[in-house]
Amino acid sequence: MDSALRADSALRVDSAPRCQDDAILTRSGDHAVVSQLQSMAYERMIPLNVSLELTLKCNIRCLHCYNFDRDTAGPACGPGDAASPAPALSPELSLEEIFRVMGELRAAGTLFLSLTGGEVLSSPHLFPVLDRARELNLAVQMLSNGTLLRPGVAARLASYRNLLGVSISVYGATPEVHDAITQIRGSWRRTLDGAERLRAQGVAVRLKLIVMRPNVHEVGAMRALCDARGFPYLLDLTVTARHDGTQGSLAMRITERELGALYQGPLSDLIPNGSRAVDEAAFPCNCARGNAAISARGEVFPCVSVPWAAGNIRQQSFGEIWRSSPVFERIRGLKIADYPACAPCPDKSFCSRDRGAAYNASGSYTGTDPFVCAAAGVARAVAENRAPDVQLPLAVAAAR
Amino acid sequence: MTYQRDPGLPFQKLEEETIVVDPRTREVHLLNDTAARVWELLASSSTLDELTETLADEYDATPEAVRAGVEELLAGLRDKGLLVDVAGAA
Repeated sequence: MDSALRADSALRVDSAPRCQDDAILTRSGDHAVVSQLQSMAYERMIPLNVSLELTLKCNIRCLHCYNFDRDTAGPACGPGDAASPAPALSPELSLEEIFRVMGELRAAGTLFLSLTGGEVLSSPHLFPVLDRARELNLAVQMLSNGTLLRPGVAARLASYRNLLGVSISVYGATPEVHDAITQIRGSWRRTLDGAERLRAQGVAVRLKLIVMRPNVHEVGAMRALCDARGFPYLLDLTVTARHDGTQGSLAMRITERELGALYQGPLSDLIPNGSRAVDEAAFPCNCARGNAAISARGEVFPCVSVPWAAGNIRQQSFGEIWRSSPVFERIRGLKIADYPACAPCPDKSFCSRDRGAAYNASGSYTGTDPFVCAAAGVARAVAENRAPDVQLPLAVAAAR
Repeated sequence: MTYQRDPGLPFQKLEEETIVVDPRTREVHLLNDTAARVWELLASSSTLDELTETLADEYDATPEAVRAGVEELLAGLRDKGLLVDVAGAA
């Protein structure tokens, strides 16, 4: 008989997460273990991590939202939250449909289930879904804006032992900046109060800082805020075009100049060092190999960031889509040479290789997003101690 | 003594192995095929003798040959907090 209990060390330990979504389940210092599992899922093509969008409805109206243009009103929008209605295309998944697909996910090998929205806490299905996830022994991570984390809700969430943690989005170090982005006065205070309340109940909370034009001057202060309050955090520099095809969110993107200033200022410790070789094995992300996502209307995507529908769980089982979708087979068969702009690019080692940004910008999974390309170039220039080909107009306060 | 896995822990069987997640400690454990089989058997409470007998049968071995391994495995699972106390345990 084999030795009794094999520890994590038997798995590959040299890999970083293939994308930020892989790291969503971790706190600082946990990356190695989760990365090992991601590598195993990648190699065996097991949908270990699945994002499930419970609703498109949201109680805030973020200018950069990737779902759809939440300021759009009129016939395109059906009933929903007064602050942010969801477009009335096909109806959102019923609880019965969600339960069915959760069973299919379990059978397909899913262990980590990320619940997203819209705002998950605005979904009437949230707690029944958490109950079902507990019955299925799924580990759950939630992404929330935190504003609905009232005391009773926080305590109820804390009662779920299978809840790994909650990521809460923050868009500023001050209420003025954050609330201008969410377009809801008081949201910054409610978000941070919710985060504190949830953590006080013993739930692991991580803040997700989205860097964009209205808050770029506060990046250092946002990091300082997290440090002062003892919250682990994740920075995301890329705002993408929306899944509804509208481009308004792109006005929120920081410029190359601002990015250069960040890398020379408050983000100087986060510049990719370019030391990791990007070979055939390292280039692909976990899309359609260890990761998948299910939209609020049942579409199955390779990842929450890439709205390239491989099928719909209303027409096929998740397992069938996972195993035989032409979209997934196409992604799994891609080689570096199939990415015409990326293959010869000298900045690959400095690039996030964000497939969601590329897909939303170009309409092609193997395309590019000019911002991501420029960001790689800026990171390389700064990392190599060259003056980036941009001016640096910002005096960013490095309050770290 | 009676053993049972903690029913509140997320886990997933992947081919021959099983991943067990402990959200309290944020640790992830990878069980090899034998440990994964024991984890499966521990869905209901079992004694060392019962587990030994089952595994000996499945591995076509004598109970004496597998008992020490099962004991070691149970100790490992218990030390990692993956088992629960079962009422009536000795």
